[in-house]
Amino acid sequence: QALPARGSGSSILVSPRQKGNPVLACLKSVAWEYSDILADYGLGATTCALFLSLKYHRLHPEYIYTRIRNLQGKYNLRIVLALVDIPNHEDALRELSKTSLVNNVTVILAWSAAEAARYLELYKSYEHAGFAAIRGQQASGYAERLVEFVTVPRTINKTDAVALVSSFGSLRHAVNAEPEQIGVVGGWGEKKVRAWCKAVEEPFRVRK
Amino acid sequence: MSAAGTAQPAQQVKLSLPLVYQQELFQELRKEDELVVLARGLGLIRLITNLLHSYDAAGNNLIVVVGAEDRENAWIGEALAEHAAMSMSSRARGLTVVNTDFTSVAAREKMYAAGGIFSITSRILVVDMLTGLLSPETITGMVVLHADRAAATSLEAFILRIYRQKNKVGFLKAFSDNPDPFTTGFSPLATMMRNLFLRKASLWPRFHVHVAQALEGKKKAEVIELEVPMTDSMREIQNAVMECVEVSIQELKKANTGLEMDDWNLDSALLKNFDMIVRRQLDPNWHRVSWKTKQIVNDLTVLRGMLQSILALDAVSFLQQLDTIHAAHSPAPGSTRQTQSPWLFLDAAQTIFNTAKRRVYSSNQRPNLDSTNIDALRPVLEEQPKWAVLADVLEEIDRDLYFEPAARDDSNGTILIMCSDANTCRQLRDYLQTMHVKPRTEQKVEEFHDPDEDKPSASFMMRRKLRNYLKWKREFAQVSANLFSENQKAITGAVDPRLRQSKGRGPPTKRRRVRGGGVVGAGAGPGRLDNGSIAQYFEKPDEVAELMAEVQITEEETKQKEDIVADPLEDMDDYYRLYEMQDLVVIHAYEGDLDEHILEEIKPKYIIMYEPDASFIRRVEVYRSSHNDRNVRVYFLYYGGSVEEQRYLSTVRREKDAFTRLIKERASMSLVMTVDAHGAEDPQEAFLRTINTRIAGGGRLAATAQPPRVVVDVREFRSSLPSLLHGRSMVIVPCMLTVGDYILSPGVCVERKSVSDLISSFKDGRLYGQCEAMFQHYRSPMLLIEFDQNKSFTLEPFADFSGSLASVSAAHAGAGDLQGKIVLLTLAFPKLRVIWSSSPYETAEIFERLKAQEEEPDPIAAVRAGLDADTQAEDRVFSAEPRDMLAAVPGVTPKNITSLVLQTENIKEVANMTVAELDPLVGKEAAGRICGFFAKDLLEDE
Repeated sequence: QALPARGSGSSILVSPRQKGNPVLACLKSVAWEYSDILADYGLGATTCALFLSLKYHRLHPEYIYTRIRNLQGKYNLRIVLALVDIPNHEDALRELSKTSLVNNVTVILAWSAAEAARYLELYKSYEHAGFAAIRGQQASGYAERLVEFVTVPRTINKTDAVALVSSFGSLRHAVNAEPEQIGVVGGWGEKKVRAWCKAVEEPFRVRK
Repeated sequence: MSAAGTAQPAQQVKLSLPLVYQQELFQELRKEDELVVLARGLGLIRLITNLLHSYDAAGNNLIVVVGAEDRENAWIGEALAEHAAMSMSSRARGLTVVNTDFTSVAAREKMYAAGGIFSITSRILVVDMLTGLLSPETITGMVVLHADRAAATSLEAFILRIYRQKNKVGFLKAFSDNPDPFTTGFSPLATMMRNLFLRKASLWPRFHVHVAQALEGKKKAEVIELEVPMTDSMREIQNAVMECVEVSIQELKKANTGLEMDDWNLDSALLKNFDMIVRRQLDPNWHRVSWKTKQIVNDLTVLRGMLQSILALDAVSFLQQLDTIHAAHSPAPGSTRQTQSPWLFLDAAQTIFNTAKRRVYSSNQRPNLDSTNIDALRPVLEEQPKWAVLADVLEEIDRDLYFEPAARDDSNGTILIMCSDANTCRQLRDYLQTMHVKPRTEQKVEEFHDPDEDKPSASFMMRRKLRNYLKWKREFAQVSANLFSENQKAITGAVDPRLRQSKGRGPPTKRRRVRGGGVVGAGAGPGRLDNGSIAQYFEKPDEVAELMAEVQITEEETKQKEDIVADPLEDMDDYYRLYEMQDLVVIHAYEGDLDEHILEEIKPKYIIMYEPDASFIRRVEVYRSSHNDRNVRVYFLYYGGSVEEQRYLSTVRREKDAFTRLIKERASMSLVMTVDAHGAEDPQEAFLRTINTRIAGGGRLAATAQPPRVVVDVREFRSSLPSLLHGRSMVIVPCMLTVGDYILSPGVCVERKSVSDLISSFKDGRLYGQCEAMFQHYRSPMLLIEFDQNKSFTLEPFADFSGSLASVSAAHAGAGDLQGKIVLLTLAFPKLRVIWSSSPYETAEIFERLKAQEEEPDPIAAVRAGLDADTQAEDRVFSAEPRDMLAAVPGVTPKNITSLVLQTENIKEVANMTVAELDPLVGKEAAGRICGFFAKDLLEDE
């Protein structure tokens, strides 16, 4: 019987230690298999995760440190996936924050087994993904951009944006308009007019 | 300020506090530090300016006013100058306002050294106090306005703590005219007073004995209430809107089970702050609620705005507003019932749109047998009922003045009309100017003389409005077709809803092509789209032409002057002269405390309150009681059974309840905490810190007498964390940081994100850039995800995880939820540490722990990080709002925004630049896109 190739596949590698963890039941959209690895979950060539229930951590505070030490500096991204399952989590989280700084691990919190499973799935499936999604998207239609632009001042809403451009024709005219002219537009009260004019004329740089 | 007061403290100053309770309060304030809660309209600002003046006149002092808004600054400054002139006190120096835009650090230092009265923006004040630019010991006293905003973690409370720590002798007075916030929570008054470091609270409701005596003496103002009935169609619309509100609330409840929503009902929906109640209850979970819930909360705001505008706007403007609302909420292509605003599907929504239209024009059956044109439109132009009443009142006043002229009286004959905002002002002005102009149409004139003819009517104004509306609507059809062209295509692509309604009409497809696919629906009312929501309605061109002909400009109308909107004030001398006050009608909008000023200046004999406002009535009472010889008659108009009436009554009731509760709490308040919170550093703590007990491994025993130090970006002072760090006796060093928000040690740099920040900075890619920058300059960058104290500490949405394959596929990487983006971020920066904190209090503790064993950070190095060699830190401070707007412009990227911001002045300049001018800044392609975005003309056909 041929064994599947190690670590090459598209499945999450799970250490046998995790047997019985409810998280496994929630791993649905990505395949997983047991494998003899140092970490609890192998999520790719350079990524691994240790699972920690805070309830367990409270009883055995030294456990997680042993596990981190046993990773022996392998893996580039080492995640401690902590399940927040106790109400007074403050102490534990304080300690974990310090640990993450000292021991080079990244702490990710989940509040349910399902959420924890989702994190694991995401890490696996984004293994080779690009980062465009978090570098700011530029593509969207003129209308959305326009509404986004006009509604930056907090008092102005979408309806106001539509009313503004429809009465001035173009954004340039709206930007150049006098406060009195804008005040005549339906729905634009004094507050909005003031907020708009301030935003448009306020210098970018706070100098002097 | 005519009447000089009798109260005379130590210096020779003239006060303007004519009423007994005001003088009493003033003496109290001179004597001791206290919190004053005064009912709105009883002259709080006047009390404050008198108090400030009494200190100002003494000279040689440094007084800081905290928490004043811009217009209050203006008013206080004016009043102080006036006082100084009146009492001829040579040493008074008036008010100096400090806000970022105009004063540099060096200039501020000089100003503080000179002394006087300062009103300083809290964010600047706290930085100046921490950096020692304004050392707390030199301050003579502090005056806190809007004390109700001083929550424990607020900037104001932070300022007061720094002040009280170093300065135990200076005075401290706090003022508020809003008792409501003092009544929520557990023993709120005591908490608030602890935040303010005050021991005594002085409460002055309207029903206070002294206030009542002063205002209800023989010099009482005469008030005439006029209840105006709404028209049937107004009531119909109001009821329909209410129905929509009710359904929206039910949807909210359904979507968010498990939240406490007992007081989300129709009654409370009428209250002024219902949006806030809903927001406050949802806020703890705001990052978890579904997209739909957010939309419904927005809908509620829109619907409640409608309730307001049905009363305030005239019929045509209201219809215009509805059109705009409808266009903005029109369905996205391919959307289904699930993604829509639910109220748009109701019959009530149809009622709103139909009735609003019927108030402007209606269709009537024509005897004409031409089958293609059954409907013809004729203008209806319903008038607001208050207009006629207003005209009546004015006429009555006229008669009054005529029959009993010149009663011996100090006031002018002026009539003052008060309304809620500038738009209403404009509307009333139009109405009063044109109410006697008759648009005489063809035959009517000769045939008979209508007795109604001489009655004032708004028909001229309304016809003009309708003309403008029709013109606007034509353009609007174009604009909305351009803006939402996809939507429109989707609409026409669907089966024309009219086909279902109107069998046997002419071939509709032909007509539909007339206006770029925008014409859907007929005179009968808006049709419905396939998915059941109401279709945007545009008239057929021939109908419009007919309607236009109906309201054609008549000869009479052409004589009227054009309406001037913005006047550049050229040729001042030729066209303007001063009017006599005697026979003016002044229309003004309510403006809080400034209204007192208006009363004093105009000295009206008659006041018409076009819309109810509880505090203005009190202002009139105060005004009347302050002057022996000025008679005032107040007419008070409100729509019976309307939202307006309900709101008025409930604000009065709420304020009364709030005061009652405050008085009860003050009576049972156990007493009084020590003022000396965190006064001196605990000596034990100071000693323990000198010995670093963590000799972990290295055996390095360092004795540091230094208290722990954190470098904080000045922009971070908007949050409560710096205050809490200071409370844990860390030294806060405010600096202008380019990289990171908090520097804990030479290697540790923290970027703080609240959950909402996190979402938005993922969206615009800001966080990615910030992380890149941190990794360039620091060894261990950290991302702090900070939840709010009261917010639920979880990222799980209310909806459950659908474990579908698509939701995690790499193709959609990061498209969806927050979790996915956090995953991507940690994959992009494997060395980035994430700190999860359930509240700012927690964060302070975590910081303390992270700092243990680390060296103290160097502020100078922290400031220099991320700066070019030759740029100054101060040049790099950007105003957030215009920058965010710029970031939304297509063509502007995180890379080129910096050069754009450095080379141009403001949005206005960028908007007016040509491609050639922009090219050297951002490159050709981006320049074209930026320019195109601003210049795109929506009125043009594509």
